Amino acid sequence: MTISETLAGALGLGAVNPLEDFVLSLVGAALVGTFILLNTAVAGPWAKRKITAAFTDRIAVNRIGPFGLLIIVADAVRMLSKELVIPEGVDRPAFDLAPLVLVASALLGFAVVPMGNGIQLADPTVGLAFLFAVASIASVALVMAGYASNNKYSMLGGLRAVAQNVAYEIPLVVTAMSVVLFTGTLQTSEIVAAQTETLLQLGALSIPSWYAFVNPFAFVLFLAANMAEVGRNPFDTPEAPTEIVAGFQTEYSSVYFVLAYLGEFIHIFLGGAILATVFLGGPAGPVLPGFVWFTIKIWAFFLFTQWCRSAIPRVRVDQVIEIGWKGMLVLSFANLLLTAVIVGVIV
Amino acid sequence: MAVQQRLSGAITSLDGVIGREEHLNAPAIVVRPDAVQSVLNRLRSEFDHCACVTAQEYQDRFETIYHLRRYDEPTTELSVIVPTTVEGPHSQSASAVYPTAEWHEREAYDLLGIDYDGHPDLRRILLPETWVGHPLRSSYDQEQPQIVTLSEHDNPLEDDRALGSDTMVINVGPHHPATHGVLHLLVTLDGEQVVGVEPQLGYIHRCEEQLCQSGTYRHQIMPYPDRWDWGGGGLLNEWAYARVAEELADLSVPEYAQVIRTMSAELSRMLSHFLAIGTYALDVVGEFTAVFMYAIRDREQIQSLLEALTGQRLMFNYFRLGGVAWDLPEPREEFFEGVRTFLETLPEKIEEYDDLLAHNEIFQRRCVDTGVLDASTAKSFGCTGPVARASGIDYDLRRDDPYGYYESLDWEVITASAGDNFSRVLVRLREIEQSARIVEQCVELLESWPAADRTIQSNVPRTIKPPVDAECYRAVAAAKGELGIYIRSDGTDTPARFKIRGPSFSHLQALESMATGEYVADLIATLGSLDTIMGEVDR
Repeated sequence: MTISETLAGALGLGAVNPLEDFVLSLVGAALVGTFILLNTAVAGPWAKRKITAAFTDRIAVNRIGPFGLLIIVADAVRMLSKELVIPEGVDRPAFDLAPLVLVASALLGFAVVPMGNGIQLADPTVGLAFLFAVASIASVALVMAGYASNNKYSMLGGLRAVAQNVAYEIPLVVTAMSVVLFTGTLQTSEIVAAQTETLLQLGALSIPSWYAFVNPFAFVLFLAANMAEVGRNPFDTPEAPTEIVAGFQTEYSSVYFVLAYLGEFIHIFLGGAILATVFLGGPAGPVLPGFVWFTIKIWAFFLFTQWCRSAIPRVRVDQVIEIGWKGMLVLSFANLLLTAVIVGVIV
Repeated sequence: MAVQQRLSGAITSLDGVIGREEHLNAPAIVVRPDAVQSVLNRLRSEFDHCACVTAQEYQDRFETIYHLRRYDEPTTELSVIVPTTVEGPHSQSASAVYPTAEWHEREAYDLLGIDYDGHPDLRRILLPETWVGHPLRSSYDQEQPQIVTLSEHDNPLEDDRALGSDTMVINVGPHHPATHGVLHLLVTLDGEQVVGVEPQLGYIHRCEEQLCQSGTYRHQIMPYPDRWDWGGGGLLNEWAYARVAEELADLSVPEYAQVIRTMSAELSRMLSHFLAIGTYALDVVGEFTAVFMYAIRDREQIQSLLEALTGQRLMFNYFRLGGVAWDLPEPREEFFEGVRTFLETLPEKIEEYDDLLAHNEIFQRRCVDTGVLDASTAKSFGCTGPVARASGIDYDLRRDDPYGYYESLDWEVITASAGDNFSRVLVRLREIEQSARIVEQCVELLESWPAADRTIQSNVPRTIKPPVDAECYRAVAAAKGELGIYIRSDGTDTPARFKIRGPSFSHLQALESMATGEYVADLIATLGSLDTIMGEVDR
């Protein structure tokens, strides 16, 4: 069920014609986009500070509004009122486009993610492939930003980002393929549906057949590759503030900085959404509505990234690449082969 | 001293030696300006540590003094004095014998205008290239304005582009998240790999030596040493001045004051080491690391203790010549209780650092075998302190050239052999434990000290005027390494020459040999592991 059908049902429209379908889809897209941006708004200026503070024995924002929540408004005003500095010699329009591409690619991914309660913008049969395809457009944005900034730190950051994304995109996709072997489809709604059966019954507790439980090895691999994809510790080498200042972001200020920053957060949430869809049963969960469970799952992944950020050292750029090509790639193919054999013999 | 006696005859008969003098810390030989290299070459095997190079101006001559000592026996010292003419002063460079002399001689050239023949790279080091005159000369006109326009600064990047080379020059600093102060590294990169590093100093040169030369011994100099280390090691720096000035003016320090000094200095060392470890975690882990905040949290407790003791949190100004400023805060029990509580919780905190850093596999992959500094290179650049000890050089002035109350206490000098980034961090962690041991013993001593016998300062004359032409170089084991001060007295109540030897100055010299061939990330990690503080580098 896609969001236009859900909306039509809610409005009591019955069968919709293509024009109504188009309008309802646009409305749905606006709703989903707003929801995602709302999440990043909470995550960026407020939750991230609170979470990091909790990890490091501090209090963090607590002055403006209840629990310091109004810092979100204050920060938004602050960031937007800053001067937008475009350095001399930057390569326009690549410099201006990069932050937009970064945000757009991440937002686009949410189009095919089933969020529960009939909230899914589109449900193409190649859903999973689409998801990975648009998510990896971000690499292009990073190269654009790194190259166009006319700054050596940005350049290094951009190059690191590409090297890292190429090295981890393959294990990511190959690991996801091992799940596709089980489901036999790339359609995201089908992948979620395939995870609803009960895997084990332990008394009153029934463990669903989420692929994280069916194939924990693939889950861990995917989680690690995902961390590299979203560029968080231990794989935050593209930014590595203490080494290359802010990587590809170095020259961005004001609105562009907000966009670049926003793009990163949306990417973390998209990473969480992919993880939830492929391995954690999508919006499935007891008692609470599916949509709430979906939100909880993407926030759980966000929390995980922040935890790693506080506790795990950053690996060096050559080590990142080495882990990617020599470790993750081999393991992910081994996982794929093994799954193929198991699926072929048993299922 | 035995070595010294054995040497003295042989040394004075060396070709080029034209005289003998006596400094308070060591015998001195006077060497012809054109025989510096040959004499030092002969001395190198006996004295492997060129601790400091002092240049100064007399009425009739300029003088360069090389303060030599031994790593395995620092009390065996020798000063090599090289006099040269007032007009066009020049003497042979020692940098071929002691690589550490290269920067020291550049400084002497910068501030006093002495030319060193055979020096590989005689440029200004603290002041900009466009500076006119040499500020420590008596003829220097302090009123003369020095305006350096932006266009006069050379732009290394343009040269780089013109050459069309495969490497690129990148400016790490003076504003960069990881330079630990206003340090500017001119880094040449081949992709991600470092081809060359050239530290550019002087961004916060504050004429500290000149300032100290215009202050009176008794009170006006003591506040300055705090300003050479804002990482918390201020009290250790104060001790460096106290030590040399007390020797110069022949002042004694009551035993009670020595114990207080030892305790507060070790607390100060812990402050500095915690900051070093915390910021190192920033460099390696990232800017949101828990380790940094933990380090700040733990420092806060020490800082509260030192605030109670000295009244200050950073610029303590607590030591006085002949003792300390005041006794422990009343009620004493409360202070002791505070120190005890901190020391009791320390082991579990150290364990936490160990878990987060030393036992972390990624941290090990990042730090083991990177930024390696072998013992002989470390010695040639005059490295001291935790940096030298991590390279297996068992050198600690607290034990080898004892002062304060250290001799009577039970503690160990921590060393490691690998000389890599990992060892340097680990050595600092273990040194915190040793400092805690020292503090604990001091607290026990102070607790049971009879109330009638608590003299905090000996009788010190109102105006201190050391004998004419008394010269002394004395060093203490500061947080970063050997912090030495050379003072020459001219019989007045202000020093005629006040030379500061900051340990980080030497450590920075070693950076290039440590970081070349490694990745950018390792360069940053290596710089962090040196724990440099620009206050004592630029002075």
